[in-house]
Amino acid sequence: MAGDDDVIEVDAVVTRFGDQTVHDGVSFSVKRGTLVALIGGSGTGKSVLLREIIGLQRPTGGRIRLLGTDVWSSSSRQLDAVRRRFGMMFQDGALFSSLTVAQNVAVPLIEHARVPPPLLDPLIRLRLAQAGLGPEAAEKMPSELSGGMRKRAAIARALALEPEVLFLDEPTSGLDPATARAFDALVRSLVDDLGITVFLVTHDLDTLLTVVDRLIVLGRGTVLADGSVKEILAVDDPWIRSYFSVRTTVGPSAVAPLESG
Amino acid sequence: MNDAHRESPPRARLERATDAPGVDVLRLSGSWRLAFLAEIDTELRALALPAQLTIDGSELDEIDSAAALALLSRLPAAGVEWTGFAQNDARIVEQVRHRLEGVPELPRHRARGLFETIGRDAEILLRVALGHLSFLGAATVGIGASLLNPRRVRLRELSAQFEQVCLNAIPVVSLVTLLIGVVVTYLLGLQAKQYGANIFVVDGVGIGATREFAPIIVAIIVAGRSGAAFTAQLGSMRLTEETDAIRTLGLSPLDVLVLPRVIALMVALPLLVFIGDVMSLAGGLLIAGPMLDITPTTFLERLRDALDISHVYVGLSKAPVFALAIAVIGCHMGMTVGRDTRAVGMATTSTVVQSIVSVILLDAAFAVFYQELGI
Repeated sequence: MAGDDDVIEVDAVVTRFGDQTVHDGVSFSVKRGTLVALIGGSGTGKSVLLREIIGLQRPTGGRIRLLGTDVWSSSSRQLDAVRRRFGMMFQDGALFSSLTVAQNVAVPLIEHARVPPPLLDPLIRLRLAQAGLGPEAAEKMPSELSGGMRKRAAIARALALEPEVLFLDEPTSGLDPATARAFDALVRSLVDDLGITVFLVTHDLDTLLTVVDRLIVLGRGTVLADGSVKEILAVDDPWIRSYFSVRTTVGPSAVAPLESG
Repeated sequence: MNDAHRESPPRARLERATDAPGVDVLRLSGSWRLAFLAEIDTELRALALPAQLTIDGSELDEIDSAAALALLSRLPAAGVEWTGFAQNDARIVEQVRHRLEGVPELPRHRARGLFETIGRDAEILLRVALGHLSFLGAATVGIGASLLNPRRVRLRELSAQFEQVCLNAIPVVSLVTLLIGVVVTYLLGLQAKQYGANIFVVDGVGIGATREFAPIIVAIIVAGRSGAAFTAQLGSMRLTEETDAIRTLGLSPLDVLVLPRVIALMVALPLLVFIGDVMSLAGGLLIAGPMLDITPTTFLERLRDALDISHVYVGLSKAPVFALAIAVIGCHMGMTVGRDTRAVGMATTSTVVQSIVSVILLDAAFAVFYQELGI
């Protein structure tokens, strides 16, 4: 398996809503097997960009390639093929509320993979375990789950088809710090153990400072900075400085030493 | 990347090891991925795996966690040696084994039996009915308090609701009752013509429409239109915690949300029934001319003689009661809906069914009641 190709390529993307320009030439690429975070102030179009990358919303201009396929000029067949190779976790899970957790995880398996029936249950059990959920969660309805469990169930569903890329929208929002850190460790292990590329949008400084390989900072319609946390902290930009000032005032030791996987 | 992914299919080969007798080697090759899970399963099933074996992954293109699971599930618990796996592949296999260690099987989904279903549903039905009654009580107290203190009524919300449930319903109510008037007159006419009793069709359609058809038809339309809307609106407000916000702001959801809807519907339904009366008689009048040679003048004159005004009053008097039932069911189902999107849909469906059934039950009760009174 080729290890160092770009799985996400965003090239000069422009997004306008009416006369409001959200993105004015955003470009970056993401390498296979890395954990990359997209950050930026409110209204800088992080979630919009995420939706554009996974093919839910068309950008006004520019090109987006995901796993080698141009998202916005491919046939729907090609796009469907790509859709089976990435997973997406929406902010609030977006679990199907009429199905149990196990049935939610089974949906992509039944629709898109020819899983032999005797293997279906063990596979669901594996996906739940990979997302950190025990088998007792399997028969629960999404409405019976806590916020953290709902996110884990959503990850289990996103992992179902063994994706090459996993997109996470605000994975730790609404979680208590301890749960959030456990979630960070889970995401990191997906990258390290399964070789999945993870691309996430977050505001959680702890996530950024502890588990992320690379940060992409979005602001003023373009990429303000791009690099490891240390490199970003060295960038002289008022927004970036104020963003991280909360943490640096607590003490420089708050920045954990970072090894890129 | 796309075409580079077109890999060789997965294979598993069992070999007698020549150098170490007694230990068999399972040689894996090709691409062991989720997409080939069916092939992997048949491949492994075809082999009789011994209790002691070595698994050689040196010819493996790749293995993912689903394929590793399929492999592990066919392997003996102990006595397995792994060799020749690439670092990535070994880590995935190890991770799958580690994840599933000591994790019990998924609980089996138990299907409900017939009697359990009947019992549980009956209990739910009883609980819902009791809930409606207590909600009716709360709404009645609220209405009473509003009458004593009219400033408690939220006029803006009330008029907005009134526009929704009354004004916007006029076109559909008019159309449906007009057509009902035409149909009833036509069917009565077919029979009456055989006896030359053409003129009595006016009696029939006049009494039938104003006393029964118009109130029932209009109430059913309103149950489907406004009852469902009440449940959907209040249910989604509960979903987004708007009702909780109202409560924490020191307001009562009953005053702000429920009473305007109940009062608006109780005022609206009699008006709509009156429109329904007029339109169904108009429908009768329209068809009576060409079919039964009853001119509009004759029709109206006969109507004045045959249709006692008490029939109209009877019809109109049922309307507020129907409205109360529809509004209470609609609001109560909305206010008690479960906090997920599916529940809102189910509650809305249930509201429509319940309100139509209760309208018809109430109508039957009215029929007996007025019969006893001799009206």
